[in-house]
Amino acid sequence: MKIVVAFKWAANPQEATVAADGTVDVGRATLGISEYDPQAFDVGRRLADATGAELVGLSVGGPAATSSMARKAALSRGLDSLVTVTDPSLDDAAATRTGAVLAAAVAQIGDVDLVLTGDASVDLGVQLVPSVMAGLLGWPAVSQVTALSGTPGDLRIERNQEGGTQVLLASGPVVVSIAADAVEPRIPGMKDILGAGRKQTTELDYAALSVEPLVAYAVVGRARPELKARQGKVIDGADPAAAAAEVVAALRATHVL
Amino acid sequence: MTEIWILVAANPAIDNLVSRGRELGGQLVAVVAGDRSCAEAIAASGVDRVVWLGEPGATPVEARAAAVADLVAEAAPRVVLAASHPAERVLAGALAGRLGAPALTMVSSVRLEADAVIVTHATFGGVAEETVRVEGPVVIVDECGSVGTGLPVPIEEVTATAPPTLTVVETRMSSTTRVDLGKARRVVAVGRGLARREDLALVEELARALDAEVACSRPLAEGLGWLSRDRYIGVTGQHVHPDLYVAVGISGQLQHVVGCRDAGTVVVVNCDAKAPYFGECDYGIVGDLAQVVPALTAALA
Repeated sequence: MKIVVAFKWAANPQEATVAADGTVDVGRATLGISEYDPQAFDVGRRLADATGAELVGLSVGGPAATSSMARKAALSRGLDSLVTVTDPSLDDAAATRTGAVLAAAVAQIGDVDLVLTGDASVDLGVQLVPSVMAGLLGWPAVSQVTALSGTPGDLRIERNQEGGTQVLLASGPVVVSIAADAVEPRIPGMKDILGAGRKQTTELDYAALSVEPLVAYAVVGRARPELKARQGKVIDGADPAAAAAEVVAALRATHVL
Repeated sequence: MTEIWILVAANPAIDNLVSRGRELGGQLVAVVAGDRSCAEAIAASGVDRVVWLGEPGATPVEARAAAVADLVAEAAPRVVLAASHPAERVLAGALAGRLGAPALTMVSSVRLEADAVIVTHATFGGVAEETVRVEGPVVIVDECGSVGTGLPVPIEEVTATAPPTLTVVETRMSSTTRVDLGKARRVVAVGRGLARREDLALVEELARALDAEVACSRPLAEGLGWLSRDRYIGVTGQHVHPDLYVAVGISGQLQHVVGCRDAGTVVVVNCDAKAPYFGECDYGIVGDLAQVVPALTAALA
């Protein structure tokens, strides 16, 4: 019985630079485990401890996703082992390709009853990869999950939904996206980091995976998104009353108020 | 005739998708995984056909993603639209997987050519924009809009064989009423600059004086839990476009600004003169929010 944590080794777009022609350069951005993923590691570790399951990390991406830094960062977060699928063509892959490769890798790993993910990737943030993967595995997907209990195959799932919460029971394999506020992620300690070096990483051969063929598409244009022109009038608030009066007067003069 | 399909899990507010579909031309077909009342609302919202999977019972609607994907794959439309809600995303992703089709979000334009669909959309959380040419079906996840109106069309019921592996055992409604920030004309948002929870009262007073809704950046809703999740504005939260947006103690990190980029007028209050938000505002006040916010409230009286 295995629980897979599918995570992303990603650049923070906050640190990306966008050229005038719209080309995104993340070359200097810090890479790390995507901001919303550590919760999935923690929820997975707890469930694996409670059920005796093996916790396997899975990451799909460009060559950096299997760098020594990426492996250590993941393996120090409570995994028993790590599986990576890397290829230059998977760098910045779009949601459908990433989801399809993850589904093929989960099938290859075998004996998996549960896949956990974060609720969005920090870089692309499209929030569709878990459901693409689930669709191709033929499993249901549940998002915004705050708590898991029971055992994979007989799993109690609590999730946020509009206007409240819901409890679901899964009697088969399922893909679960963990909400960002499900747990306060634990920061790996020295013992975790030292232990990470002794854990096993398996690199799956991308070419040998049976990934579903995808519809071809091409990027035919790039641009910087047009931002609204703003007044940019910044006032020193050393005298708060005067500054506030000035801004309120300006808002009234322009009929915003 | 070209068909455009719209995926509906349980939220009938799809008028933005209907207008998008109308611009493309062709027949609009909505497939509804939710209950009969949802199907009825959709049938009267300006679409040409409604295909309904029947009552979901104790099956969560997104567990019907495979059945929805089967139906849509058989019809083989060139464009499929879905609203950006969690359950709709599950339907959209599962279908994109089934079709092997690109799934695109934050879309600004869609155009049909004889042999391709041309889509312009924001990427990398909104920092860049790209135009793609897709020679095949494309799945688009878009802002939903409101509940539309139109002449009711008949509901075509089909039998869905939902996987019986997922069951709802309990639903708890939250006691707090849900806010719809998407329709708010004025919003006062607060972020990490707020040192103490008690200071939230200052922000609420300003919002009252402006007749505005209170919102926040992600850490206040998801880390600290000082405001409910439905008040969080940002890339994974609400996207708003009010006439007036007042950002208090929010530095202007991209992940937040993406959620309110289309606001009419932006006022920023921050103690850090170097906060990136001052570069993207109409009016900014550099100062301690504990003093500036009450001063703004007083100036409005």
